[in-house]
Amino acid sequence: MAVEVRVKIVGQRSTRRVKVEPGTTIAELLKKVGQNRETVVVRLNGRIVAEEEPLKKGDLVEILPVVTGG
Amino acid sequence: MLRCSFCGRRAVYHRRYAGVFLCDRCMIKSVERRFRRAINQNKLVNPGERIAVAVSGGKDSVACLHLLHNYCRGKRGEVVAITVDEGIKGYRDGSLPLARENAEILGVEHHLVSFKSAFGATLDEMVRIAAKRGTGLNPCTYCGVMRRHLLNQAARELRADKLATGHNLDDETQAIMLNYVRADLSRLYRLAPIYAPREGFVPRIKPLREIPEKEIGLYVLLKGIKVHLAVCPYASGIHTEIRDFLNSLEANHPNSKFMILRMFEEIRPYLKEAVPEFEMRGCERCGEPTSTRLCKTCELLQGIGLAKRRKKLISDGDS
Ligand SMILES: [Zn+2]
Ligand SMILES: [Zn+2]
Repeated sequence: MAVEVRVKIVGQRSTRRVKVEPGTTIAELLKKVGQNRETVVVRLNGRIVAEEEPLKKGDLVEILPVVTGG
Repeated sequence: MLRCSFCGRRAVYHRRYAGVFLCDRCMIKSVERRFRRAINQNKLVNPGERIAVAVSGGKDSVACLHLLHNYCRGKRGEVVAITVDEGIKGYRDGSLPLARENAEILGVEHHLVSFKSAFGATLDEMVRIAAKRGTGLNPCTYCGVMRRHLLNQAARELRADKLATGHNLDDETQAIMLNYVRADLSRLYRLAPIYAPREGFVPRIKPLREIPEKEIGLYVLLKGIKVHLAVCPYASGIHTEIRDFLNSLEANHPNSKFMILRMFEEIRPYLKEAVPEFEMRGCERCGEPTSTRLCKTCELLQGIGLAKRRKKLISDGDS
């Protein structure tokens, strides 16, 4: 059963809802939403976490783009 | 919950190229250790030196300022900050206050120099003129050359022994690739942790050269350092293509960026013989050191009908 998580890209207004299989990692979610893990820092429910952290229902995933390139 | 490989606390980062997880404390310590190692191994800073730091307000330069300030505390040296206002509307105006604020927090002397007052035009204005005249040059060419020119001059006027920039591992590997693509051996050769060309040039140092850009982002977030996180509106073309290429390479093959840097370091000593030596002299127009009649800045300015003003950037009472 897929579960829903909220995904917010910091600096953008809207929050997306994304369906993932339980146990999906943040790294896998990033791929799904087209973000390169080398260029972002991720907060899971308000705390910075490693991208191998698995997701569960209702999680809030905030993506902070930190690679600005100069 | 994923745990730190070193102390067992909650992990904030998976450093895949090293196969370890790090907590906030171990991450901060690791970045600071790498910074110190780069300085010690390459003798970037000698005791008692005056180091000018180029601070834009972005994360890399601000992190560099904080790290160097901590490093130089005590008797090791002195830090001054220089900010160049290129005049990029909607971008630089957001980062300048953060450069000033961070210098103030640290109690570091801060100097602002601008394209407008040195060259009579902002970068935005130069870009408009260049487009009208059809010079075919992109904004980064004007910006890069002229920013380096002003930083060097300001650092020299401030009697700095070194000029530090916030170039990170990503910047370095991108520059290596770019010079490959452009077959520019002389520029490639210059990509060293410390580069001291000649008289008139303040030696440039890059203490963040072995720290991936993402880790600097993490470092400022974990330390609660306020920085400007925005992308320059002029960023485009081959620079961004190379950046994206290297990031997807790294995502699929961790450690690629370090390997590119290591390989370059292996090759670099052999490049010395292939790079021609230049006779240094003063630019006929502005007096800054150059190997040609006109320095690159004056040549670019001439192409768009401008000329550098012959005056000091830092007023005497100011340093
Ligand atoms: Zn730890
Ligand atoms: Zn000149």
